[in-house]
Order: sequence, then structure tokens, then C-alpha cells
Amino acid sequence: MSASLDTGLTRGDYPLSVNRPELLRTPTGKPITALTMDAVVSGELSAEDLRIAPETLELQAQLADASNRPQLAMNFRRAAEMCAIPDAEVLGMYNALRPRASTAAGLAALADRLETTWSAPVCAGLVREAAEVYARRDLLARAGAEDGEDTP
Amino acid sequence: MTTAQPRPAGQPRHSLRTDILEARPVNLDGFVEEWPEKGLVAMESEFDPAPSVRVEDGRIVELDGRQRADFDFMDSFIADHAIDVASAEESNALPSAEIARMLIDPRASRDDVLAVTRGLTPAKVLDVLKLMNVVEIMQGMQKMRARRTPANQAHSTSARDNPVQVAADAAEGALRGFAELETTLGVLRYAPLVAIALQVGAQVGRGGVLTQCALEEATELELGMRGITAYAETISIYGTESVFIDGDDTPWSKAFLASAYASRGIKMRFTSGTGSEVQMGNAEGKSMLYLEIRCILMAKGAGVQGLQNGSISCIGVPGAVPGGLRAVAAENLVASMMDLECASGNDQSFSHSAMRRTARMMPQLLPGTDFVCSGYSAVPNADNMFAGSNFDTEDYDDWNTIQRDFQVDGGLRHVREDEILLARSKAARALQALFAYLDLPAVTDDEVEAATYANSSADYPFRDVLADLKGAQAVMDRGITGLDIVKGLESAGFHDVAENLLTVLRQRVSGDLLQTSAVLTADFTPLSAINDPNDYAGPGTGYRLEGERWAELKKLRHVTSATDPESEVG
Repeated sequence: MSASLDTGLTRGDYPLSVNRPELLRTPTGKPITALTMDAVVSGELSAEDLRIAPETLELQAQLADASNRPQLAMNFRRAAEMCAIPDAEVLGMYNALRPRASTAAGLAALADRLETTWSAPVCAGLVREAAEVYARRDLLARAGAEDGEDTP
Repeated sequence: MTTAQPRPAGQPRHSLRTDILEARPVNLDGFVEEWPEKGLVAMESEFDPAPSVRVEDGRIVELDGRQRADFDFMDSFIADHAIDVASAEESNALPSAEIARMLIDPRASRDDVLAVTRGLTPAKVLDVLKLMNVVEIMQGMQKMRARRTPANQAHSTSARDNPVQVAADAAEGALRGFAELETTLGVLRYAPLVAIALQVGAQVGRGGVLTQCALEEATELELGMRGITAYAETISIYGTESVFIDGDDTPWSKAFLASAYASRGIKMRFTSGTGSEVQMGNAEGKSMLYLEIRCILMAKGAGVQGLQNGSISCIGVPGAVPGGLRAVAAENLVASMMDLECASGNDQSFSHSAMRRTARMMPQLLPGTDFVCSGYSAVPNADNMFAGSNFDTEDYDDWNTIQRDFQVDGGLRHVREDEILLARSKAARALQALFAYLDLPAVTDDEVEAATYANSSADYPFRDVLADLKGAQAVMDRGITGLDIVKGLESAGFHDVAENLLTVLRQRVSGDLLQTSAVLTADFTPLSAINDPNDYAGPGTGYRLEGERWAELKKLRHVTSATDPESEVG
């Protein structure tokens, strides 16, 4: 998600659901105002329509920046990158980051996959940083021990 | 019968007063001497590092006496993500007394304080807090709490994992004022049914109350992703590298998980607390508060909006050492002065003494916190599957009276019984209709009747546990989501409840609840540190309990009428 989506949001725009609903869309492209009970009953809506869109997370990141919360904004930008990744794969990636769950090569491959397959450079950066610290703190799995059964 | 019992030889005679004191509940509590070498010390240990920070080329290269090459992973994460590098050297050079004074000086605004605290190292934060007594800590909390309006959170669980009970108690809890409700299980496989019941009950009691189900990380995330729960909290972090690893996580895995929740539009906070490292056997010889400050900074670095702290499930540990509850109040303040939402403990039970239990919550109730309790038991404690809480349903009237006595807002209110019975009955009937719609094990009319008038799980007919567990599995296998719950409630004629839940689900599309300290008001307006920032600036400013809300909190079960002393008002 690029930061080029500069909407000049200020704190006064929050809550977006009240003050700027026209900016909010589902990942399927519906405006938030389309999420009505009639649409639920008629079966027009799927669970996919009740997810947050990466563009919305970028808007919330801008609000976090405007509120002097850079770490929160960074979290939202990583989240924006993750929106497209299926639930099971997100959980798999989380598990791969647990202590001694992955080799250096495994984490490098994960970072590459985040960057190339999912266009998630910020997440990839977090994984690469983890790999560097894990190497220094003996928290990598040995080659051939990807299941985390390795002992130090 | 003689009045003087023969005393066994060698035993000293006790006074009658000693016998009475020995029998007092407080003497069933455990107390221990400090043992700083093992970290069994609240916040004053000679083994804690002295504050220091050095920045080179825009990078922190020394943190609290340690060089970068020697950083453990907590140091690394805090140095690279939590501390504002640009202001670090200047902020840490300020005398600790000056920073402590800013915390209590109303002329320094919350933003003025944050401009300093965002650059502080863990040892410097500790150095500041060590100067503050508990009243000063409360003064600090009054100003530093992120959201202007305080709130409260409850547990709604069942010793039998009975979803009907959870729905009815959630409805009553929501009606009484809890902004968030949390459940967990005895038998984990029951989770989908109980989480659905919690959500339905909450939306019956008061539309917009947020719910969560505390489970192991992956399952908790899955229920959230499906829209069955609205937020998550039990994402535990620890203050030493060794204990963090024992928890099978690292700051990077937890930061990734934080983003995973946000990527699904789900509100989330981490959990930590003093005493956890000692309890898990590796405090690395550091004081409880120092280690908790490292957790708080780690949480900030991860970009998570908030933290549940105040010792939580380890409260027995700080509760047993001198100054322990001062340290617990201090850790809440540190979360707030790091600009995080703070759900401030008063959660797991820790004392047999009613007096001690009440005293324990004063440093949070009096100044107000984002959530005064991070788990008031909205069920009798025997039904509390979080191992009991400091307060339960029997304490509702005491809590309401204390709010009225001190004119403070602890998030609850007195509700007339007729309203409560209506809500309990409606929650059970809504669940009955929903389970029928979803082809889940039936809720009988007898159960609805029991739920309306029950106190505890013992007051309900037994459910067919095997059928329930099959039903719970079916919820997972069939991919039932929050949307299916909305449809079921709507088609069964519970239109208002369906609409409430749909509105909560719609919020995840907007992301408004992801901002710091966000809750949903009764008219579904997201209220967070952005649109309800704490603007305390001394006497007469900030959140004041007044107007309609004060009128509401003046009501109790029994208040004598001023005009007719023979009658009661309310």
C-alpha cells in the first residue's frame, strides 16, 4: 500500500464511519452504506463484504499519524499489506515467526514471498529484521528442523 | 465444660484478640519477603539497570547500560521500534523528578508529557515511577488515561459452558454498563457456541457492546476473522527474553499477529503484567515493574493500540510483596503514559479480604482508566472460568454505591429488576431462535425460564453436552460467520438485535475501532482517544461525573425519597 493515497485526513474526520462514510468501501468495492439489513436478507452480502479494505487501513494509518502515533500507523500499514493474504496463510506466517520454528533460509523465503507474491514490503522488512535478531539470539531452527523440535 | 482449656505443654498462650485476628480472612492471603535476586520484588531493586541511552547515526546503540551487540531481543525491539530516537537523548537527560512532576502538574498537558515519555528508556521510566507515591500515581493516571470517558469490562462465562447462561448474563452485564464482555471455556471445544451466545446476549443488553473469546492465539483469531467475536485481548507478552520464548513467541511474531488482527478490522490489545516472569521462573533478577515496563514498551513498538495490564493472572505475586499494589497501579500509569489504551486489571481474584479487594481497585476507580476492570465477573465467581475475579455479581450494589459515594464513574449503573429480567429472557429467547435457525442443539422453554431468573449455572437444566459439542464443531465445519448470526436473528423476528450486531460488524469495514481506546457508544458512535481525548487540565476540567450520567448513578436499589420518607425512589 503506497502512502500516495493522501486524502489530507485530520483528527476531525474521525470517526470515518460517521464523518467520512463516502471514503469507506468493502474489499469487494461496495460503499459501506450498502451494508444494510435488506442486503443481508436478500443474500447480496457475503462475509467478504464485512472485511476491511487495505485503502481503509491506509486512511486509519493517516489518522494515527495525525494523532502522533507512528507505531500504530505502521501496524495499520503492515495490516493493509496483509488484507489479501488468506487467513490460513497469515496464521502459517505467524507460526513461522515463533522461536526456533524457521531456519534462516525459511525466513528469507517468507520475506521474499511477502514482497513478491503479496506486495508486502513492510511486512517483509519485519520478517528480515526478525531473522537477523533470531540469528544473533540463537532462535533459528537448524536446517532440517523446520518443525521447531530443535533444541539449543 | 470448663472455661480454661488445658494448653499443650510448650505452646505460648494467645490473647483472645489474637485469635480473632488470626481468623480474619486477610490472614488466609499469602505474603512473602522480598527476594530481589530472583525478581521477587515490586519496583525497588538494586539489580535493575541504571538508565542510559546513546544514539549514533539515528540508531540507539546503548540502552540502559547495555551495548547494541549485547542487546537481548527485548532491548533490540524496544530500541528499534518503541523509543522515539529523535528525542531519546534529550528526554532521558531530564531529571527524573522533573518528569514525575510533569505527570502530576495540571499545567503540563497530556500531550506535553507524551512529548517527553515517548523518548524514555525502560530504566528511566522506572526511575520516574519510583519517585511517585500511590496518590501521585493516581493523579498521573487521571491525566494520562487515553480516553476521556472511563469504561469497564466484564467476564461472562459458565462453569458448565452453558451458552444459555452466557447469553443471559452477557445481556445483564451489557445493560448494567460494561462496554466490553469477554468469555472463555472450561471445555475449549464449546467455544463457538459460547462465543455466539456472548455476542447475542451482549447485543440484546446494549447494542454496540464489544465481545471476545479468550482462547489459544490461532483459534481466537479465527473466531474474530469470522465475525463471531469483535475484539481480542489475550495476546500475552513477557518482560524477559527467556519467558517470552517459553510462551513460544517473540516480539516479532506478536507484532505480526497484531497486524493480522488489524488486517481483518478487529480491535486487539496485548496482555502483560507484573509477576508473570517470576511466576514463570525467569525474571533474570529484575524487579517486577522494570520487566513490565519492558512489556509496555514492546507493545508500543508493535503498534498495538492497547494493553491489558495490572498483573492480571499473576496478581498473587505482586500482592504478596511489599509495595506490590503500588507497582500494579504504576504499571497501569506507564501504559497510559506510553499512549496505550489500558484495561487496568482488577481482574483475577487475589485476596480473601473484602477490604483488601476494595482497596486494590481504588487507584484505578478513583482517577478512572480506559477499562477500570479488565474482567469484572458478570457471573458468580463459581462460574468464572478465568479462575475467579476480584469482583463478581454479588458486588454489583457495592460497586454502584461506591461510585455514588465518591461521585466517580466506574462504568456501571443500577438497573431495575424488571428491566434485567426482560433482557435476560430476551437474550435466551434470541439464542433459542438462532440455534433453531442454524440447526444447533435446541434451547428449551424451560431453559429460557431458568435463564430469566437464574443466579448461577446450577440454576439451569442440564444440557446435552455431547450434542452441544457436535453443534460447536458444526459451527466451525460449516463456516458459520457473524453474517449468518445476523440473518438468523432477523429471520426469527429479533430485528433490533440483528441490526445491533450488523452495526458492530459494519464497524470492522470502517476500521474506527482500531484506533486507541475505542469503544462503541449506545448510539454506535466509535469513541476513542482521537474524538474523546483526555483533556484533563486540573480542577474543573477533564471527565466529570455530572448531568444525566450523574443522575443515573445516584440511583441505587434502595434510596429513600426526600419528600416521602416512607417510600423509595428509583
